[in-house]
Amino acid sequence: MRKSWAALTIALGLVVAGCATTTDTNSQVQTDPDDPLEGWNRQIFAMNQQFDHVLLKPTAEAYVAVVPEFARDGVHNFLTNLNTPVVFTNDLLQGEVNLAGQSVGRFGLNSTIGLGGLIDVATPAGLPYHSSDFGQTLGVWGVGDDPYLVVPLLGPTNPRDLTGYVADTFMQPLNYVGIRDYTYWALGEGAAGILDTRARNIDTLNQLEQTSVDPYASTRSLYRQYRRAHIQHGKTNLKNLPPM
Amino acid sequence: MSRLDILTFVRLRGIMAALVVAMAAIIAAEPAMAATPAEQFVSTNVQRGLSILNNHSISDTQRRAEFRDFLTSLTDIRRIALFTLGAARRTASPADVDAFVNAFREYAVAVYESRLNQYAGQSLRVTGSSDVGPGDTVVTTVLVDPNGKSNGQEPIEVDFRVVQDNGHFVVIDASIVGVWLGQEEREQFTSFLQQNNGNVPALTQHLQQLAAQLRAGGH
Repeated sequence: MRKSWAALTIALGLVVAGCATTTDTNSQVQTDPDDPLEGWNRQIFAMNQQFDHVLLKPTAEAYVAVVPEFARDGVHNFLTNLNTPVVFTNDLLQGEVNLAGQSVGRFGLNSTIGLGGLIDVATPAGLPYHSSDFGQTLGVWGVGDDPYLVVPLLGPTNPRDLTGYVADTFMQPLNYVGIRDYTYWALGEGAAGILDTRARNIDTLNQLEQTSVDPYASTRSLYRQYRRAHIQHGKTNLKNLPPM
Repeated sequence: MSRLDILTFVRLRGIMAALVVAMAAIIAAEPAMAATPAEQFVSTNVQRGLSILNNHSISDTQRRAEFRDFLTSLTDIRRIALFTLGAARRTASPADVDAFVNAFREYAVAVYESRLNQYAGQSLRVTGSSDVGPGDTVVTTVLVDPNGKSNGQEPIEVDFRVVQDNGHFVVIDASIVGVWLGQEEREQFTSFLQQNNGNVPALTQHLQQLAAQLRAGGH
C-alpha cells in the first residue's frame, strides 16, 4: 500500500511536470531560475494549503486538544523508532559508520528498555536522534536538487528526494514481514505520521502564514537550504555563503 | 525522504521562532570556552539578551522595549535590509531604498516581538567558529532546551554570521539547522518584486502592512 501510494504521488508529480513542460499560461510565473515549473508548483502549493486548512490542521488541533502530551510524545517516539532501520541503511550507504552504530544502539535501547519505541531512552543515554534518507544519500553521492517540485499532499521536493522517498520504503523491513491486514497497518502508520508532524507544527505554520511576504518562495527557500545543509550533515558550507 | 521527514521543513519555522531565543538566549554556559573574539561577542550578547528576557522585575512592555533596543544594537539592520532587497537595490531610487530599510526594520522587529511569548527557557551554547573571509565569521551554537524537548529530535544548530564594522562586531545573518534567514527573506522579496514589476515601494508598503497586522495581533 505504501509503495502504491508513493507511486501515485510520483505519477501525479510526473503529470504535473508533463503538463508544465507542454503548456501554458499557468507556467508563466517564474521568479527563480532553478524553479522552471513555478507556475504549476504554485497551484499545487495552493491546493495543499487548502487541503491543510480544511482537513489536516483542524484534525491536528483536535488531536492536540484531546490526546495528552505524553501520549503524543509516545506516538512520535514510536514512529521515529520504527523508521530507524531506514536511517541505519542510509547511514551505511553514506559511509557514516559512526552514525550507523548510533542508529543500531538507538534501535536496540528504544525497542527494549524504551518499551517498543514509546520512550526515547537513547537520547539521554548519549545516542541522540539523527535522520538519514535516500534523497540525502543521493545528494551525498553528488546528485543535484533541480528542479524544485511541489507534489500533491507530499509538499516540497525535487526528483532526487522523490526518488529517495520511494527507495526508502524498500528499506523498511516491515514491508517484507507480511503483516496481516498490512494495508490497514500501513495506512494507520502513514496517517499517524502525518498527524504527528502536523500537530507538532501548528504554531509554526500559523507563523509562516502570518509573517511571510510570499509563503511559496519562503517554503522553497527553507526546503532547499535545509536539504542542502542536511546533505552536509548540518555543517554550513562556507563557500556557498553570499557576500553581504 | 523518510515519511517522518516529509514535512520536516515546516518544523523549521517553529525552530525559527527560536531565533528570538537565538538572538537573546545564547547563554554562554561557559564563557571561558569562547576562544575567539567573535565567539566571545556572541556569548556576551546572548547573555545580555537572556538577562532581558528573564528579567521579571520589569513590565512586559518595558521588557519588549529593552529587547527591541538590544536587537537593533546587535544587528546591522540596514545592511541586512539591503541584502534582502537583492538586485533591486541598484536600480531603486535612494529615497525608495531608505523607505524600504525603515519598513524592513519595523517588519523584522514586529516578527520577532510576535514570537517573544514562545520563549521557554531555551539557551544556546557556543561550539566554535569558522572564518568566511577577513572580518567575516560564522559562530556556531547548539540549542539547549531545559525542558528536555530535544528528545527524539536532532540537536538544533544555530549559527550567527558576524562581521567587524569599524572595529565593532555586528550580526548580519543567522541560520537555524542550516537555513539562513537573510537568504530566505531575499528569496521572498525577489519573488514579490518579480511579480510586481520590480516595484520597491509596493514591497515597502506590503512590509508595513504585515508589521501592522502583526502588531494588531496583540502579542
